[in-house]
Amino acid sequence: MLTSPFTFEKPTTIADAIEAVGDSGESMFYSGGTELLLAMKMRVIHTERLVDIKGIPGLDRIVLTDANEIEIGSRCTHKRIAADPVIREHAPALSTLCDNVANVRVRSVGTIGGNLCFGEPHADPPTMLAALNARLVLQGQTGVRFVHADEFIRSELETVREPDELLTMIVFPRPTGPVTYRRFKHGERPSVNVAMAWSMEATSSTIKTARVRVGALGSRPQPLKAVEDALKGRSIADVRPAIEAVLAEALDELDINDDRHGGADYKRHLAGVLLLRNAEEAMTRGKRSR
Amino acid sequence: MSNPTDSMSSVRPDLIEKVTGRAEYITDLVVPGMLHGFVVRSPVVHARIVSIDTTAARLIEGVVDVLVGADVASFGRWGVVLKDRPIIAIDRVRYVGEPVAVVIAETVEIAENAAELVDVEYEELPRATTIREALADGAPLIHERHENLEDFYFKGGARPTQNSNVFHTYRSSVGDVDAAEAIAAHVHEDSFTFPAISHFAMEPHTVIADFQGDALTIWAGAQTPTAVQKVLSRLFGLQLAKIRVVVPFVGGGFGGKASVKIEPLVAAASWKVRRPVRVAQSISDSMLTCRRLGAEITIRTAVDAKGRILAKTAKLLLDGGAYSDTGSAVATKSANRIMGPYVMPNLRLEASAVYTNTVPGAAFRSIGGPQAVWAKESHMDNVAAAIGMDPVEFRLINMAGRGERTRPDLRPLDMDMSELVGRVTQSPVFETQGSNRRARGLAVAATDPANTPIANAIVRLKIDGSVSVSVSSIEVGQGAHATMARVAAQTLQQRFSAVTTLRTDTDIAPYDWGTGASRSTVVVGLSVESAALDAADQIFDMVADVWELPKDSLTLVEGGVSTGSEVLTFHQIFHRALGVDSGEVVGRGGITPRSKKGALAESPLFWETSAGLAEIVVDEDTGQIHVPRYASAADVGRVINRVAAEGQDEGAAAMGFGHALFEELEFDDGQPVNATPIDYTIPRITDVPPVFDTILVENGDGPGPGGAKGMGEGAILPVAPAIANALFSTYGIRITDLPMTPEKVWRALQKRK
Ligand SMILES: Cc1cc2nc3c(=O)[nH]c(=O)nc-3n(C[C@H](O)[C@H](O)[C@H](O)COP(=O)(O)OP(=O)(O)OC[C@H]3O[C@@H](n4cnc5c(N)ncnc54)[C@H](O)[C@@H]3O)c2cc1C
Repeated sequence: MLTSPFTFEKPTTIADAIEAVGDSGESMFYSGGTELLLAMKMRVIHTERLVDIKGIPGLDRIVLTDANEIEIGSRCTHKRIAADPVIREHAPALSTLCDNVANVRVRSVGTIGGNLCFGEPHADPPTMLAALNARLVLQGQTGVRFVHADEFIRSELETVREPDELLTMIVFPRPTGPVTYRRFKHGERPSVNVAMAWSMEATSSTIKTARVRVGALGSRPQPLKAVEDALKGRSIADVRPAIEAVLAEALDELDINDDRHGGADYKRHLAGVLLLRNAEEAMTRGKRSR
Repeated sequence: MSNPTDSMSSVRPDLIEKVTGRAEYITDLVVPGMLHGFVVRSPVVHARIVSIDTTAARLIEGVVDVLVGADVASFGRWGVVLKDRPIIAIDRVRYVGEPVAVVIAETVEIAENAAELVDVEYEELPRATTIREALADGAPLIHERHENLEDFYFKGGARPTQNSNVFHTYRSSVGDVDAAEAIAAHVHEDSFTFPAISHFAMEPHTVIADFQGDALTIWAGAQTPTAVQKVLSRLFGLQLAKIRVVVPFVGGGFGGKASVKIEPLVAAASWKVRRPVRVAQSISDSMLTCRRLGAEITIRTAVDAKGRILAKTAKLLLDGGAYSDTGSAVATKSANRIMGPYVMPNLRLEASAVYTNTVPGAAFRSIGGPQAVWAKESHMDNVAAAIGMDPVEFRLINMAGRGERTRPDLRPLDMDMSELVGRVTQSPVFETQGSNRRARGLAVAATDPANTPIANAIVRLKIDGSVSVSVSSIEVGQGAHATMARVAAQTLQQRFSAVTTLRTDTDIAPYDWGTGASRSTVVVGLSVESAALDAADQIFDMVADVWELPKDSLTLVEGGVSTGSEVLTFHQIFHRALGVDSGEVVGRGGITPRSKKGALAESPLFWETSAGLAEIVVDEDTGQIHVPRYASAADVGRVINRVAAEGQDEGAAAMGFGHALFEELEFDDGQPVNATPIDYTIPRITDVPPVFDTILVENGDGPGPGGAKGMGEGAILPVAPAIANALFSTYGIRITDLPMTPEKVWRALQKRK
């Protein structure tokens, strides 16, 4: 199947790209095209014009800033992120995640920005980025705004991004403790995934705060508040009982779609399995880094 | 190990063309003046077509015409067993995906855009979307009447039940099952289901048709070009000799391109516009074109106190979809294939194929085999458990030996099934570290390929010693063309590189039944062998005549003929015999059921066999099955090309892993749920066992060239039941429906607890 006819533009600045998309609703940003072109060929997305952002310099940067934050340009491909030395050093779990997204063809052209902006619920990066407390930088005709990763996806295939806003960057604080991620999939995309990021007290093996996100179950990643609270101030040695004490209750609060990826009870159970496995890994990593 | 230069010169020529990108598939062909067709498909499950409005589509610039049912209604219906299929939906659609219009335009883009403007009004009809619904009292009839074509494609035909959705029933009965069950020590019954599965060939169905007056040329990835020729000849009233079917390289068929598929549709499009028309489907289109038949199976075995099988009963219901295609043969074969290589003195088999309002069923690698073997080999372990016997032991004491018949009307077994069982259980892959003896499951299969012994071949030996082989076998990746070249080269004592197998073209190639049913190496191979011998004989005649030598003193050598005292080159022979420095001999070879004093007539021509031993590890928290080790054994008689033969065995097993763990073409009240390559999952290389042993048993006892048997369809069969049996023995759960998804396994583990 082929796309319906469209025109194509390749601006070289962010401003031109935003201008080109405009607010008529008839143009779309085009990055790796791995989602967009498929949807256009299946004719579930129609657009008059594609605005290619691959000609804009600077959108594929990855840096650790002086403010101790990691910035990832929206146009970085999964492959680029997986291999990046900064990410490998400071967020190795994100590197591994990107190394395992989709297939080699998608990884080498598909971008992190495209992944987020498509708003597909069965995705890997949104869960991880929410656990990392990332902010997304959106630039539109009226200026720049920051959106928390937790708030970016509004519903299935819909984000809070306005059509003429370009996602330019993803920013998150450099992790100060173990970050773990697991997904379960049987088929093309994750059925459920769990990301957990601990920040550690500087001098002891005590968890200062924990962020836990479960993804792919509803339209966007969901926090496991009860688990986060239970882990706060906890010593690594006590992690398992602390989680187990609140797990059932925490899982019960998840909003879960019954879909082709499995029944809600099964996926709820899987979320618990992945969480505990993440915790085991985080415990050994947390200890090792002492 | 052969030396490297040797093996390079014997590399299959088709593989070199493929890896260098030169190989031509249909979408690489351009026929001058060619237009492009785009198929508009039914979005509804079962409906009357109230109206089709093509006005808006026709107004688009570049649209040449739109084919609809009314254009071709007068041609009537076609089929290969039952004549149940219109060229394109006329007044009714019977499944989602059925073609209702073909927009024909200058470019594919224009055709596809205009297709969105074709306006079809439907009036929904009551539907029957599953076997149960189709058999229920008062079920809507998907076809009002059944018109059987006897001996048209297969020997025999269908046995439909009038005024029902059952389009075929096959029964076979031996001895007295009831009496045997009455005296049995144990009688055990199980039920299993099997889903519809997509062929998922990398190359979707693509056809170019060029109607020119009373002649028609078709370029298609057809596995059975002569069946395409025959159906088109009947449908359009054309002479067979005026229909040419050309088959370039084919990107996978697996039965999904056997018999006849979209060729009549594309031919009709060309007929309408009087220009060549190409229809290139997408994989999603092909997923709505045909699929493997789903099944519901009940199987019962009676054993005596020592565990010997006294009687076996099986009832199989197959979901044939909206049009019968070859579903009747699939049903018959499923009954034969549920027997297995066992001694069963009393047997009662019944298999029916049923119409449903879903994608039409079709042949698929070992027709009816995976359905039947899934049930029978899972059941064997259940019976063994019920009588407290080891499942391997239970199989071995009931196995029919070489030369024994499993049913009076079938050829005696031509192999030792116990040898295959021994080979897989002793495979070195299970000797490796970490292997767990207790987590293994075994399954075996012996199937009767429908390898119709009808084929012809032409072998032409040229003055320079080069040879061309012409057969109707298609090259679908399995290496048939190289195999035919090898048979000719060996028979004529010439180098492999001197022989070329010509691209399949019915204008040149003689009649053959088709590429399927594991038959080409044996049946077409024998024809090539006899054609080569015929060519040799003609050369010997020339030498005997011109040089006045006794024929029996002559032998072929590379480049010519040895008289015993000297070597005459082919050049010398032709030049002296014909007086000019040119010429060739045309050798003809053919196989019929009467060949070899009728030795090929009994069915099956050979038994296709396989044994599979799977070792599994289950993640009990998620239900995910891993298969770290697998051994597959097949008795192939003789290997002609080892890489190709192992590739066939491994490919079949990999497909079996798909069937076992991933694949199901799902329908929700008749609506396809996952008929796209994104939503339908086939195994990746990381999903098949990292340690895999292919064991090819060669006793040189097959009917084919050099003692070869056919192969390529066996290894798919044991995979699912072997894994299920390992799950049963190791984890105590019995899965009765495929695929064995993690969720299903997890739920079964929960229930066990
Ligand atoms: C076969 C397959 C398997 C996959 N499996 C997985 C998986 O397992 N896990 C997973 O997480 N993902 C998976 N994906 C999704 C994959 O990660 C995305 O396709 C890819 O990252 C999208 O990036 P892109 O650059 O190609 O986006 P595009 O297709 O170019 O764009 C996608 C959407 O985002 C918009 N967009 C793109 N960039 C920007 C931007 N900078 N600012 C604003 N809007 C923008 C576009 O307008 C469009 O709407 C899979 C995809 C495929 C095709």
